[in-house]
Amino acid sequence: MADPASTPLGKMLLEEITPVVMVLCTPYVEESCLKNGLSLIQLLSPFCDFTNIDVPVRTASDQPYRLRKFKLRLFYSSDIRQPNLEVAKERLKKVITHVGEKNFLESSDPSQVNNLLSRPESEMLPSWFQFFNKELVRTLSFSDHEAFDHPVACLLVVSSKDDEPVNRFVDLFNTNKLPSLLNDGAMDPKIMKHYLLLHDNQDGPFNKATKLLADMRNAFGQNDCQIICFNSSQDGKIHHQDNPWAPFKSDALPTENLGGFLNLDDLNEIKDFMQELSSKHIIPYMEQKIRVLNQQVSATRKGFRNQIKNLWWRKGKEDTIDTPNGPVYTFNSIESQIRILGDYAFMLGDYELALSNYRLISTDYKLDKAWKRYAGVQEMMGLTYFLLDQSRKDAEYCMENAFNTYLKLGSAGRRNTTRCGLWWAEMLKTRDQLKEAATVYFRICGEDTLHSAVMLEQASFCYLLSKPPMLHKYGFHLVLSGDHYKKCDQIKHAIRTYRSAIPVYKGTTWSLIKDHVHFHIGQWYALLGMYDVAVTHMLEVLASTHQSKTTQELFLRDFLQIVQKTGKTFEVLKLQLPVINISSLKVIFEDQRTNASAAAARVKESLWRSLEEDIIPSSTARSNWLELQSKIMPRKYKESNICVAGEALKVDIEFKNPLQIPISVSSVSLMCELCANPEEDANSSNNEVQNNEDRTSTSSGDINSCLILSEVDFSLEGGETTVVQLTVTPRIEGILKIVGVKWKLSSAVVGLCNFEFNPVNRVVRGRRKQHSPSSDLKFLVIKSLPRLQGFIHSLPEKTYAGDLRPLVLELSNQSKSPVKNLKMKISNPRFLYAGNQKELNADFPACLKKKMNVEKSGRHANVNKTLQNLYHFPEDISVQEETSLSWPLWFHAAVPGNIPLYITIYYEMEGVSSIMKYRTLRMHYNLQVLPSLDVSFQLSTRPSRSQEFLLRMDVVNKTSSECFQVHQLSSVGQQWEISLLQPVDSILPSQSLFAGQSLSCFFMLKDRRRSSTSEDSIPSLSHIQSDVRLGPQDNSEAFFDVSSSPLADFHDCERSSRGMSSQVGCEYKVDFVFITQLLKGNSDSSSNTPLVFSHHACDCSPSSMSPISWLVDGPRTIQHNFSAPPCEVNLKMTITNSSDAIASVHINTFDSPSSNNQLINDATTSQPPEHQSGWSEIPIVNDTKIITTEALTTRVPKSLSLESVPQFIWSGTSSTKLVLQPRSTAEIPLQICVFTPGIYDLSNYILNWNLTPVNDGENQGEANKSTGVCQGYPYYLSVLESNFKD
Amino acid sequence: MIVCVAVVGHQNNPLYIQSFTDADDALKLHHIVHCSLDVVDERVNNPKKSGPTLNETFLGLLYPTENYKVYGYLTNTKVKFILVTTDLDVRDADVRNFFRRFHAAYVDAVSNPFHVPGKKITSRTFADRVSTIVQSFGLSSAV
Repeated sequence: MADPASTPLGKMLLEEITPVVMVLCTPYVEESCLKNGLSLIQLLSPFCDFTNIDVPVRTASDQPYRLRKFKLRLFYSSDIRQPNLEVAKERLKKVITHVGEKNFLESSDPSQVNNLLSRPESEMLPSWFQFFNKELVRTLSFSDHEAFDHPVACLLVVSSKDDEPVNRFVDLFNTNKLPSLLNDGAMDPKIMKHYLLLHDNQDGPFNKATKLLADMRNAFGQNDCQIICFNSSQDGKIHHQDNPWAPFKSDALPTENLGGFLNLDDLNEIKDFMQELSSKHIIPYMEQKIRVLNQQVSATRKGFRNQIKNLWWRKGKEDTIDTPNGPVYTFNSIESQIRILGDYAFMLGDYELALSNYRLISTDYKLDKAWKRYAGVQEMMGLTYFLLDQSRKDAEYCMENAFNTYLKLGSAGRRNTTRCGLWWAEMLKTRDQLKEAATVYFRICGEDTLHSAVMLEQASFCYLLSKPPMLHKYGFHLVLSGDHYKKCDQIKHAIRTYRSAIPVYKGTTWSLIKDHVHFHIGQWYALLGMYDVAVTHMLEVLASTHQSKTTQELFLRDFLQIVQKTGKTFEVLKLQLPVINISSLKVIFEDQRTNASAAAARVKESLWRSLEEDIIPSSTARSNWLELQSKIMPRKYKESNICVAGEALKVDIEFKNPLQIPISVSSVSLMCELCANPEEDANSSNNEVQNNEDRTSTSSGDINSCLILSEVDFSLEGGETTVVQLTVTPRIEGILKIVGVKWKLSSAVVGLCNFEFNPVNRVVRGRRKQHSPSSDLKFLVIKSLPRLQGFIHSLPEKTYAGDLRPLVLELSNQSKSPVKNLKMKISNPRFLYAGNQKELNADFPACLKKKMNVEKSGRHANVNKTLQNLYHFPEDISVQEETSLSWPLWFHAAVPGNIPLYITIYYEMEGVSSIMKYRTLRMHYNLQVLPSLDVSFQLSTRPSRSQEFLLRMDVVNKTSSECFQVHQLSSVGQQWEISLLQPVDSILPSQSLFAGQSLSCFFMLKDRRRSSTSEDSIPSLSHIQSDVRLGPQDNSEAFFDVSSSPLADFHDCERSSRGMSSQVGCEYKVDFVFITQLLKGNSDSSSNTPLVFSHHACDCSPSSMSPISWLVDGPRTIQHNFSAPPCEVNLKMTITNSSDAIASVHINTFDSPSSNNQLINDATTSQPPEHQSGWSEIPIVNDTKIITTEALTTRVPKSLSLESVPQFIWSGTSSTKLVLQPRSTAEIPLQICVFTPGIYDLSNYILNWNLTPVNDGENQGEANKSTGVCQGYPYYLSVLESNFKD
Repeated sequence: MIVCVAVVGHQNNPLYIQSFTDADDALKLHHIVHCSLDVVDERVNNPKKSGPTLNETFLGLLYPTENYKVYGYLTNTKVKFILVTTDLDVRDADVRNFFRRFHAAYVDAVSNPFHVPGKKITSRTFADRVSTIVQSFGLSSAV
């Protein structure tokens, strides 16, 4: 460790524990001094500090040593008393307040902890602590238990102006006027006296003064009298370069010229006087006194005998004196003498001597239980140890001992505790034991909140400076300190400490603490009226989601109050309330793509693209477009999006309230910049940027007239999230940039949020960046263009499947120029397609009905287009300016479910804009189609007549309330003739299907083509019975025409959507259209025309279309006496070959149901059945021929359930093979043998057939070789025991 | 009585702080826990003071404040557990036992696949378990 004297504590001790000189002076003296703006003591003080004297000192030992530093403390006699507690407190408070004001203005916050630590220590530690500590220590001066404040000498000063100066000297040292401490025996009144005559040169010549001096010397002795002449300068204009008095007159005004009448000679004279006083008078006097006292002490206390005596004497005294503060000692008592000896030795730097005396007296005081004095001595011992730099442990022990002893004294020793603690802490700090020092500071804190605050702040700095720094504690103590400051109304200090604590908590997740700190800083700033700063701090806590509801309310309320007090609307960037989800930002703008509704805008762009792919003039137009763009636009705007003047851009933003309390947000609007288009004069790329900037500045003035911004108000409940759509409509051409969004919170604070997007890299121009439209919020606004608005009238949102109705599409053009070349594409032609213009006003549903003289030609005109989903409006159709166009659409709810419909309409503008030649209108509707009727058809051949089919139609009304009126069933195409098997009245008398009702109808279907090819080839239309009426038979209403638009078109769509070719007429495939009507009255439509429902079924074919059909014939019930030999049953199988080929049929029978089962498994798993060994290996699969035996295999489990019945065996051959000629029939006998009565299922046989085409050249293509396996039909045979047998 | 337990992550970020007092002293306890981190750091950086073995997780009494005693525990992943109690005579064994159980509960909580490491522990099960452990603190000595 360095020289203890040069440490802060050492310096402080050498300054504070120095001899006291009592000054007595006459009013004239003061008057003369005040000419310089100084009191006498202030005048003399700068010269009392001797840093480079060299005085030999000899104290108790014989060995002299040299004293190099010395200081005198001057006090007026009136000040030699214990300072008034209240006054002292007041002064300290003033000191703190003053410092607070000063630091508050110049304080700058380190934002980061690292910055905090990187500063040098001296900068970190506020200098005013030292000053404050000194002031605090000084409040304890002239205490009665310590001797170093006892005046060593007395300086009597009389002015030469005084009458009879000699008498004045005597009067001055009048015991009545002396401080009470000297009179009541606490201090020794017999002290050295020194007489000084002060001569003011302005008052008169020096001669008179010298004469007076001679008188004085006669009266008081030669050596003790001196004279000083001063105020030599006449005009008082002398300016001292570094004013020596400044530190001693803290309240001096800067304009005041201290010492203006003192010239250099005067100063030197004063200096010499003080030096002489100290080295020639005071130091020798103290030496003298030390020696005397030392002898005295040695005589009474040193040596073994004296110690014993002392001990015994004290023991005896113990009972008698027991005052609360211990015994009263006068300066004459030996204890006081020892203390004085110690203090004198300390002041003269003889620490060894001081220590030995302190030790001596400390035991005495302890025995006397004079705790305050004991503590004082311990304190001095600690300091002496420190200055001797001998034993750290001892020093610390003594300090702690003193501290604790003072502490034990309670409030009486409170301030001493503080002083002792300060010294102790300083000592620890000197030794780098900063943590311990902090603890000491912490312990100093007592009742006085203000002092505690300062101590806590000092403690915090100890933690900061300790190695490694203890930042958590630093922060904590700062916060504590701030709280204490606040309690004492030292708000500026409180703010300062809290602000210092911010870096500790910044960036951590200790949000509770962070909020506390910020909130209080905000509040306190508000108390000071600095609302701007207050708001910035309050903002930090505003979005504190973790706080309780009440706290959030408090934060918000206080925040709003503060904002109100500022008296202006605050604009806050990145206001956290409400939270904006930037990633949710969605910009909807319309360039050539326009949306009919908001729903359309939400649809994915890719979906529209794929839809529009073939209607947009793709490659050529696009290259033209780019070319044009690059010509007329500066390159840097090439990447920006395009929007049209007068059309709104929509921006969707998500706002979230992070708090639990509701907040109200108003005036939400976009912030946009619009600058005029540099189109006209951007001929040179060099100056375009400059041009643009100029224009920006000029056009920003009238920005309001150029832009229309929407404003939205809403309020958010706690935790609520809402999406807000904001719009901006540019009115003029130019560049529009969406900068951000702003809103008003509780109509007090304006929050701003900039949308941060990647700025287009303008340096790299060669490369074209890929970017999504929403990430770039810059738009090129082009001249106003026609924009079609589209709407489909009376499109139901909810309907039943099968609904067929006409709709009207209305396209309106609000602009001044016509559009033409309209095209329309519909995503789902099963549901919607464009009709003919002449159908617009047609009567529905009558227009669907068959007309006798309708011509069939027009029907196929638009079939192909319909299939491509694309509809070209006729060439001559255009939408003129400010008119609208209506166009019929046909709607058919093909399938139930939630059906999205996408419609895009393409149109071209002429001569309006060179940038945009066409636009598209996108429409999007969502339909909810409910299931209505479930129609299924089952077609089965009649084994006997292959050209006739039995059609079974099952209809179930699946609705919950609707009642459908059945109307007709039609087969599509002309080759089928359909007729009812039984009249409708018998199966459905009401002709209506009520909710939940089901209906089964049987029809006869005739293939007229086949049956009548040889006969009349062209049947007249009236003969075609392809429709059958299911409604009232007597109704004269015409049939709906399924062969004309729109039913036929929808039917084609149905077919194509099911992956079938539109070509009707494949063999054995029939399409049906089932038409019902729903009489309104309970639905949304107001008209009472019935709704028409059509249900389409495609490609119905007979369930088994095997070319081979067979029939097993035989008895169904047999009675047999089983006591006789087994019963034989004869059966007959009739096999028909309905194909045009020769068939070879192979019948295999199985006896056990298990093998039967096995085979079925084989048959079902090993499709196709050709793979069975022994049969044809030709792998050509003709799917029209292979009708699997699904219908039969499903029945197998049922037959297996009969497994428990007794078995039967096929008698006769187990395998029969026969060859059938085309279209021929054969019969083969079969026989089974039954052993027990029961019911038998004779289905355990299979029929393998193999077609061999006739060697006929012209029929080559159709007749492929094919084979098949058929499972036997169930044939139930009941065999009964005959009873009547004997 | 235990007034507060806390889990603090290895970057001194609070993962879980629960006070068990009725009074509204959350802020104070936050401060105490926050401060004790300094002492934890100190203990960890000067291992000679920290105990007989190198891998001792229990850090012992961190510091006594006026009314509280603060104990610390450091897991291998540098997660700190802090215990603040008002009991003035606490047996070391009790505290060790407490921390051992608390550690087990913590491990279970962070083993939850839905727990994000480094984020606050929001598991209700953990909270329930901790309060059970806290309630049973000191009872074992009575048995």
